[in-house]
Amino acid sequence: MSDIPFSNPGWAGNTGEFDLTEKEVRGDDFVGDRPKDGGHPSGAGTMPYMLVDKDPDAPLFEGEYRQRFEKILTRYPDKRAALLPVLSLAQELRGHVSAESMDEVAGLLELSPAYVRGVTTFYTMYNKRAVGRYLVQVCTNISCNLCGADEVLQAFLRYTDAEMGETSKDGNFTVIEAECLAACGFPTCVQINSRYYENVTPADVAQIIEHLKPEGES
Amino acid sequence: MPEMVTLTIDGTEVKVPKGTTILEAAKQVGKVIPHYCYHPGMSSPAMCRMCLVDVEGAPKPQASCVTTVMENQVVDTESSASVANRRGVLEFYLVNHPLDCPICDMSGECDLQDFVHAEGRDHGRSVEPKRVFGRDDFGGDVLFYGDRCVMCTRCVRFMSEVEQDERLTVVERGNRSVIDTFFEKGLDGTEWHGNIVDICPVGALVSKEFLHKTRAWDLDHTPSICASCSQGCNIELHTAENLVQRVKPRENLEVNAWWMCDYGRHDYEWINHGQRIEAPLVRDATGSSRTTGWKDALTSLLEGASGLNGTSVQIVVSARGSNEDLAALTKLQDVMGGGDKVFRVSQADEESALPGFPTLARRKDLGPNVGGAELLGISRVGESDGTGGLEAVKDHDGIIIVLGDNLEDQDETFGANAGLYVYLGTHECAATKAAHLVLPVTTFAEQEGTFTNHEGRIQRFWPALQPPGMARPAWLILGAVLAELSEGVAPRSAAEAFMNLAEAVPALRGLTYEGMGLSGSVSETAQHASLD
Ligand code: SF4
Ligand code: SF4
Ligand code: FES
Ligand code: FES
Repeated sequence: MSDIPFSNPGWAGNTGEFDLTEKEVRGDDFVGDRPKDGGHPSGAGTMPYMLVDKDPDAPLFEGEYRQRFEKILTRYPDKRAALLPVLSLAQELRGHVSAESMDEVAGLLELSPAYVRGVTTFYTMYNKRAVGRYLVQVCTNISCNLCGADEVLQAFLRYTDAEMGETSKDGNFTVIEAECLAACGFPTCVQINSRYYENVTPADVAQIIEHLKPEGES
Repeated sequence: MPEMVTLTIDGTEVKVPKGTTILEAAKQVGKVIPHYCYHPGMSSPAMCRMCLVDVEGAPKPQASCVTTVMENQVVDTESSASVANRRGVLEFYLVNHPLDCPICDMSGECDLQDFVHAEGRDHGRSVEPKRVFGRDDFGGDVLFYGDRCVMCTRCVRFMSEVEQDERLTVVERGNRSVIDTFFEKGLDGTEWHGNIVDICPVGALVSKEFLHKTRAWDLDHTPSICASCSQGCNIELHTAENLVQRVKPRENLEVNAWWMCDYGRHDYEWINHGQRIEAPLVRDATGSSRTTGWKDALTSLLEGASGLNGTSVQIVVSARGSNEDLAALTKLQDVMGGGDKVFRVSQADEESALPGFPTLARRKDLGPNVGGAELLGISRVGESDGTGGLEAVKDHDGIIIVLGDNLEDQDETFGANAGLYVYLGTHECAATKAAHLVLPVTTFAEQEGTFTNHEGRIQRFWPALQPPGMARPAWLILGAVLAELSEGVAPRSAAEAFMNLAEAVPALRGLTYEGMGLSGSVSETAQHASLD
């Protein structure tokens, strides 16, 4: 991925003196080059490969992450206000926000651990438990539901061989239900890590999963 | 003088300072608008929606806990919209509420029970299964019954705003939200968490110590003063079967607001301690002792003292004695010839203040009436654990009178050389062996009286328990002896005893029992001292 500053003037975080790279905005989910073959019509494979192995034991924060952490702090009037982006950073690094992460973040931001726990659990986008390399969130809210989201969900569970909310044995997939992903025009919408897959039908699922599986596994 | 605003609440006109909320203004006309999240000692999030009232001209019901009064406002707390609102909100509160009142400690003093009983629906319409959280040990003295919680967040706000140690939070969201601590890190180590049990409007937070001990409606409430440090928190003793069952803080904005510390709250078992001295005990020259009646006991006291005219009288008192008790003894001492006056008190290593109400602190002196003792010229002796310091008294050969100090660190040689050794207390011990007279006195919980706190505020307490056997207040016993010796009149009530005291001690001049009322008063001298 290039390091050219991410230049979307409409993005609220990109004002004033803060020049953010695409990586800083999207996180580490996008790595590698865009595939040449055009990928799956649902969107699978049309974007750069989304896989960086998370390290649940990575320190909070060192090196490049430390710099990003410091940068986040400069954007807010006080440390408390920086809590959400800092939790996101911790999750990007470790894959989920564990009790230990909450405690460490509380220490870094001089907040009480209980308060950080309250905030973390309020937002569903923070994973409170470890998830697989791919977190598959199938929208089962109304529009998607009317267009067969339940079957899509079942198909994901079947092909990944995972229990609902649990991680498949190979550690690759965690499948959960999500509420409206705001892509109601393209039901069923499935979010895998930070990518949207739209108009997904049960028939697409096997192929999507094939696209995602690390090379060498089948 | 603050600017005043006149408004009408439920047809009654009321004048309150500008900035008052409708909810507080309504209290002035004797109307308590039902509420959960509002507490006068904390911020108002206006989130429980119980307190909505009709305000003339407003397009929709207003949250009376945050809406401030306006000139000529007309408020109706009983309008059909207000009542329908409460009825509806209460129905929602009951959707997931377990309705386990029969086994709930709060039953009988619960705001959910009361409000539903007053204005709720006869039957709920929800047919869905109830969400179940179960119960959780929050550490310290607190047990959490998640299903009873109405999510008012008073407990969370107490910990973050008043104790300022944010141990509690709301975790999750929507109907899964629940109060919790940071995983296993509960309330342990915090020093004021008992207050969250008091302010929880329902039975979600309960005291482990009080759990299933007795029913709320079986308790008698007596206004009193905490006897565990010199702050003098206003409290209520809740009693049943002649035992203190629990202690609750009583509002006094000058002293402790609505709060009290956990140390004071749980330090009451000594009041219930059995094996009390129940009758006066007289020891004759041969060393054998007999129990007897008051008349006989006081006669022997007077006889004993008459033979010792001119010897000095050493007195040892306890900082748990009331002003009236201590004053009666010092006066008696003067009449009998005078001598040293001492008291001992244990001390904590440091003061611990309540950050959100810093004039309240658990003080270093762990006795309620150090102020009174010092006012009467009694001097502090001994170590910081309340022992020692009695070397001079121990072998005194004149008269020794001990009042209230339990002398636990002393042995049977205490007072053995005395011409007359009178012990007024609650329990016998080694050091009372040599006493010529052991007289049973009441504790502060069994008598009426006053304490002087660390800033010179004189506060009254009332009798909550029946004294054991023949135990009497010390002021009554000593007052009778004094009347005999000085041919005066013995005080017949604690109020009279206080009057005698207020006349004798310049610092208390002008104070009256009635004037002190429930919240006490600060003597003028103390006021001057604090102004200097
Ligand atoms: S536990 Fe009690 S005080 Fe705390 S939010 Fe629930 S009802 Fe309110
Ligand atoms: S601060 Fe002192 S007076 Fe108040 S409750 Fe605690 S021990 Fe009792
Ligand atoms: S309902 Fe599925 S994206 Fe809106
Ligand atoms: S008391 Fe007003 S909304 Fe809760």
